[in-house]
Amino acid sequence: MIAIKGHRHGLLITFSGPADEPWLTRLRELEDKLNANPGFFKGGQVAFDVRDMALSDDDLRRSVALLESHDVTLWAVMSKDELTQARVRALRLSDRLGPLEATPVHKPDVASNGATATSFVGVDSTPEVQTAKPMPAAAPAAAPQDEDHTTEGTDGLLARRRVRSGQVLRHPGHIVVIGDVNPGAQLIAGGDIIVWGRLQGMAHAGALGDTGAVICALDMSPALIKIADAARALRPGEQRSRNKAGKPEMARLKDQQIMLTTWERSA
Amino acid sequence: MEGTVITITSGKGGVGKTTTTANIGAALALLGKKVVVLDGDIGLRNLDIVMGLENRIVYDIVDFIEGRCRLRQALIRDKRAPELYLIPTAQTRDKSAINPEQMKQVCDELRKEFDYVVIDSPAGIEQGFQNALAPADDVLVVTNPEVSSVRDADRVIGLVESSEKGPARLIINRLVPARVKKQEMLSMQDIIDVLSTDIIGIVPEDEAILSSSNRGTPVVFNGKGPASQAYRDIARRITGEDVPLTQPQATSWWQKLLGRVE
Repeated sequence: MIAIKGHRHGLLITFSGPADEPWLTRLRELEDKLNANPGFFKGGQVAFDVRDMALSDDDLRRSVALLESHDVTLWAVMSKDELTQARVRALRLSDRLGPLEATPVHKPDVASNGATATSFVGVDSTPEVQTAKPMPAAAPAAAPQDEDHTTEGTDGLLARRRVRSGQVLRHPGHIVVIGDVNPGAQLIAGGDIIVWGRLQGMAHAGALGDTGAVICALDMSPALIKIADAARALRPGEQRSRNKAGKPEMARLKDQQIMLTTWERSA
Repeated sequence: MEGTVITITSGKGGVGKTTTTANIGAALALLGKKVVVLDGDIGLRNLDIVMGLENRIVYDIVDFIEGRCRLRQALIRDKRAPELYLIPTAQTRDKSAINPEQMKQVCDELRKEFDYVVIDSPAGIEQGFQNALAPADDVLVVTNPEVSSVRDADRVIGLVESSEKGPARLIINRLVPARVKKQEMLSMQDIIDVLSTDIIGIVPEDEAILSSSNRGTPVVFNGKGPASQAYRDIARRITGEDVPLTQPQATSWWQKLLGRVE
């Protein structure tokens, strides 16, 4: 069993199940997830929590290689097994999620290529509230497309700040930004995306396959929006013809196409 | 009291970091501060040329870090101001010759003796930038009023925030008021809309910059021109003085004529 959660340094992948299950089996399960949702993982960095499993050097190296082939960086592996912890450190990975001192050797790379850590490391008054509720096991399989799209118990990421060029907010749940999202920034959510501000840059909702996910923004500016596997580029002039009054808009998927509707006051 | 380390950076190249560093350093020195400007662009040595001190280089910062000289020997005194010094960089090495930790040590030394240490960061966001950022107390980001340079400034401001050095302040360089008026160039407001950063100065486009760079005399040393005035204002704001920010206005043809007569 694999569960994916958002974490301040990227994604946290927890492996659970019978302790005698070979690592390769679990890795294959992860590979399926990576293959199914490349848009969600690409460019990200992840930490493993393997509970009390013991991993060999080979297991660790294979994991790093698998992730690398999907353009994902493994920076930490947590295990209760002390030998595994030592092997993890020997590979210059972190053996805990801990505070910044314990952060990865990979950090300089991360800072320069603008992956998750740079944006998640707390800055200004960035309250990244993540509700204590647990994620239901990883990807919600394509949710029914009815009006009542309620996801109870899904956690999310709240960022009260401007998301700048090169910064990436990535979360398996929902993402809410109170502030503008600048050109060159990326929001990647397993669930919905709500921007209380101007959305430029790239926003990908339902990046784990949820075709019922939506993207809302007060100002849906020139941006690239994606829902599940569909994408739509909003060009600068287009907005004016689509939405003269400059009202907030919502994007959702209909017949494999992303449709935009303005938010009207309900009668 | 210990001095302040100010890093001048931009992300994009060619927006005027080196000119800005030279002029802010010189303007601070003219205000009676003890200033050292430090070239952070290892391998692409420029600050010494803009300041006209090229032929006085004996030792550089890499010589000091690798133990070939004392810090004092790497300081070049600029006699045009009471207390202005330059530490040049090495021309024959690359960014990996120094790491952020060493840069901090150098600046901690300099802090004891100088009121201001002004670092000219290289373009980009790689190691040279990280080196220049590591010791900074204050970060000034230079941008031109055009989209790609504002985009890079946004990226850099984000990196400054996440290294907990922020908030960076902005210098808008090479603004041409007439072109802003014709909407050919981003206005101050356009830039604030994207960056939402404090602006510490607006430097108008000024022909005097090119000739002064070529002659190796920062414009603040000779003058009254608009860019010179803008740099002096920035220096006063750095020292904490409250100088109101004025937006350069477009001058009409008859104002130019009058200016010429004067």
